[in-house]
Amino acid sequence: MSETSTRRKFIDTSCRVLGFAALGGAATLLTKRASAQAVYQVDPLKCISCDLCRTSCVLSLSAVKAVNEFSKCGYCMLCPAYMDVTSQPDERGVPSGRVCPQDAMKRRVVGKEDLDDPNNNYYEYVIDEARCTGCGKCVKACKPPAGNGSLRLEIRYNRCVTCNECSIQIACPEAAIVRVPTPGMSPVETHGGPPHA
Amino acid sequence: MSLRPFKTSTVPRFAGPANSVSGSSGAGLTPVGLRPASLELTQPPRGLPLRYTPSATLAARGSVSEFRRSLSGVAVGPGNTVYALGDDEVRAFDANGGVVRSWKVRENAACLAVGRDGRVYAGSSGRIDIYDAAGKALGGFAAGQQGRPADVSAVKVFRESILVADAAARVIRRFDSGGTERGLIGDRNKTGSFMLPNKSLDLDVDAAGVVYATDTGRHQVTSWTQDGAMVSAFGKFGMGRPEDFVGCCNPVNLAVAPDGSVVTAEKMVARVKVYGPDRALLAVIGPEHFDGACTHIHLAVDSNGRIIAADPVRRTITIFGRS
Amino acid sequence: MPNPPAGPPSCGGRASRPLWPLLLLAVAFASSALLAQYQKKPPDFGGIYAFPTPTHPEPRAAIERGLDVAMLAAGLGLAAYLILRRRSREGVVLLSMGAIAYFGFYRKGCTCPIGSIQNVTLSLVDPRYLISLGVIAFFFLPLVAALLFGRVFCGGVCPLGAVQDLVLLRPKTVPEKLERYLRWLPYVYLVVAVWFAGWGLPIATGASKVLVARRFLICEWDPFIGLFRLSGSFHMLAIGAGFILVGMFYGRPYCRWLCPYGALLSILSRVAWKPVSITPDRETYCGQCADACPFGAIRDFSADRATCVACARCYECCPREIVRLRREGIPAKRYVAGADARGAS
Repeated sequence: MSETSTRRKFIDTSCRVLGFAALGGAATLLTKRASAQAVYQVDPLKCISCDLCRTSCVLSLSAVKAVNEFSKCGYCMLCPAYMDVTSQPDERGVPSGRVCPQDAMKRRVVGKEDLDDPNNNYYEYVIDEARCTGCGKCVKACKPPAGNGSLRLEIRYNRCVTCNECSIQIACPEAAIVRVPTPGMSPVETHGGPPHA
Repeated sequence: MSLRPFKTSTVPRFAGPANSVSGSSGAGLTPVGLRPASLELTQPPRGLPLRYTPSATLAARGSVSEFRRSLSGVAVGPGNTVYALGDDEVRAFDANGGVVRSWKVRENAACLAVGRDGRVYAGSSGRIDIYDAAGKALGGFAAGQQGRPADVSAVKVFRESILVADAAARVIRRFDSGGTERGLIGDRNKTGSFMLPNKSLDLDVDAAGVVYATDTGRHQVTSWTQDGAMVSAFGKFGMGRPEDFVGCCNPVNLAVAPDGSVVTAEKMVARVKVYGPDRALLAVIGPEHFDGACTHIHLAVDSNGRIIAADPVRRTITIFGRS
Repeated sequence: MPNPPAGPPSCGGRASRPLWPLLLLAVAFASSALLAQYQKKPPDFGGIYAFPTPTHPEPRAAIERGLDVAMLAAGLGLAAYLILRRRSREGVVLLSMGAIAYFGFYRKGCTCPIGSIQNVTLSLVDPRYLISLGVIAFFFLPLVAALLFGRVFCGGVCPLGAVQDLVLLRPKTVPEKLERYLRWLPYVYLVVAVWFAGWGLPIATGASKVLVARRFLICEWDPFIGLFRLSGSFHMLAIGAGFILVGMFYGRPYCRWLCPYGALLSILSRVAWKPVSITPDRETYCGQCADACPFGAIRDFSADRATCVACARCYECCPREIVRLRREGIPAKRYVAGADARGAS
């Protein structure tokens, strides 16, 4: 009886020690490879504004938003991303149709406003993120040659829940969602491999 | 928007990349996601008094003289020699399309001009470099304000003055031949001067010294005296009529013909238009000749009135003659 | 995949640098060629306008991720204490509710140790895959706890288990014949999940032109993450509802018959140092504990370490425990195990 129990205890103990050793070894190996946290971001050069960012995000209001790079923006009155330049012009000759289906693009005049001739005004364009669904229509319209290409789609980290596997990345037809490291722990000079090869 | 079957243009097509400009899909004509309001913009409008057809191609793709990386400017020198700026070089072409001379210029040179004496002026950020007719460097001068070098998007010569378009300060600077700045053209109050959402200002000078400049934000071609007084302005935004300038920031380039006609180039619907001295629209060189992704079409006019258009996406130069 | 440019050497290691300059740098490098003809100077409005810098919200700071690991470690320690020392079912219930609140609704169920199997697999297979220390800790801490104290992670900390545990009404027993096969499912799922995370099968999905080979199946079929995020596709919410429904009658269906991490834990807890156990010399052979256990983990008056998820229900029914607690002056209610056995309190 005691022999069985001591043998049993010996087996138990040795398995436990083996278990600790295996876990310890695996943990050491992985810690050597450990790097910063990785987050997902849109590569603006590959993005084709296909509207899948709006529908594929696990959140009901997608974490992908349009962002205006003000230093590249032309501040045009006739912004092709704000207004549909092919739509019917109003009485002052300004096209009346809007590109954004959620009316999330807002603009205001910069500097002294010329009330008689809107052509003399520069406008600052901002995106209302509470309304933006990430559909990318404005981004597509701003691409050269029509615009300056200052608008791009970006994953906003105050909304993104940083899933282990980004469902937008799975859906993206151009593989434009990349996994990038957040510097801060041990920056590693590798690129973040997505779950798929 | 009514759908009409697109008619094949009767203008002969070039050898060269035939895929991007094709009427049927319209893919090469307009940027992704936007369509012009009417197909009149993509078809050559009927009833215009003049027609231009391509008569020659320089630096064709696949030829010995092709430009591999960039094509950023074109100008006409004495004897109707065509000079082109690309691949960090200036090349002079003869009538048969062969390269007569070529020499290296500063990296990222953005524009060029040729004077009556054959001197070549190349503009890059904050600087104008001058070369003689054989390509020897003659020095140059700095352009721009203290701490803010000029964003030189165009340069032209008129007699003793060198006119430099500064897209950063949104003004045209006039220099004398020694490189001293003599005056400014277009310097109205800050928001009143040239509106350049596409960050580029093109200019040309006619035989009388009147300076023509593109005001892309206002969709106008403006003209000025050498002292900076405005003479006139014509043009407006419109997607419907061929006379109007389409899209966000047009016209992107211009050139003045010896008879006083103004030749303009537009983006989004890549086309070249000719306006007569009375500013009536005379001709449209349609989008089938240019790549739809062009953000500029560099222009020059020789003494016979032929239009030299450089397509920076395809990196070819096409010469159009009146037919 | 574009290589982002190497970041500058970190100063002092843990100083957190904002992410967006790295990405904008990459974008600027690449796009400067594309937009070479645009001199990128914005219009000069003559000093009347200050250019706004676009805001870039930061991702979760390192200190918050450290907090997650600390909470996990604290939860495991607390669970071990409550189950093995205090033997308090109430304590375990409270701890589970806290786990649902923090790891479930606050952290939205991600990252979790169950999913970390995939990250660890992928990192072992592909050394270039980025894995953070936090995820490594999430994988190993519950396993170490299992080697020490058994499946205390399942009992007190795992939010998925806690959800099922709290909805358990009238536990029924699954027939033994079925149970024998169901018990193997977690191992099968583990192998399949590891295969898909590390190697995968090229399957064209939807609009994607890229043949996605590697998939994180555990994440895609997580039953309760739709509940925690309060949003999700129909199939995920349906699976969650299904598990909750089944979980009302058959205790912890996901934990017992699917959870791949549970498979790992059950392997390790077989050789645990001080797990839930029934001391033979104080045994009264009344069988209350066996009736109380909804998972069938008590067989022949001994706890099956592999199946026991350390829910502490057996303690609240054991007459010896009642006696012990009463003797210590803690008023203990008497529960009759069997037909009236309830999951929560």
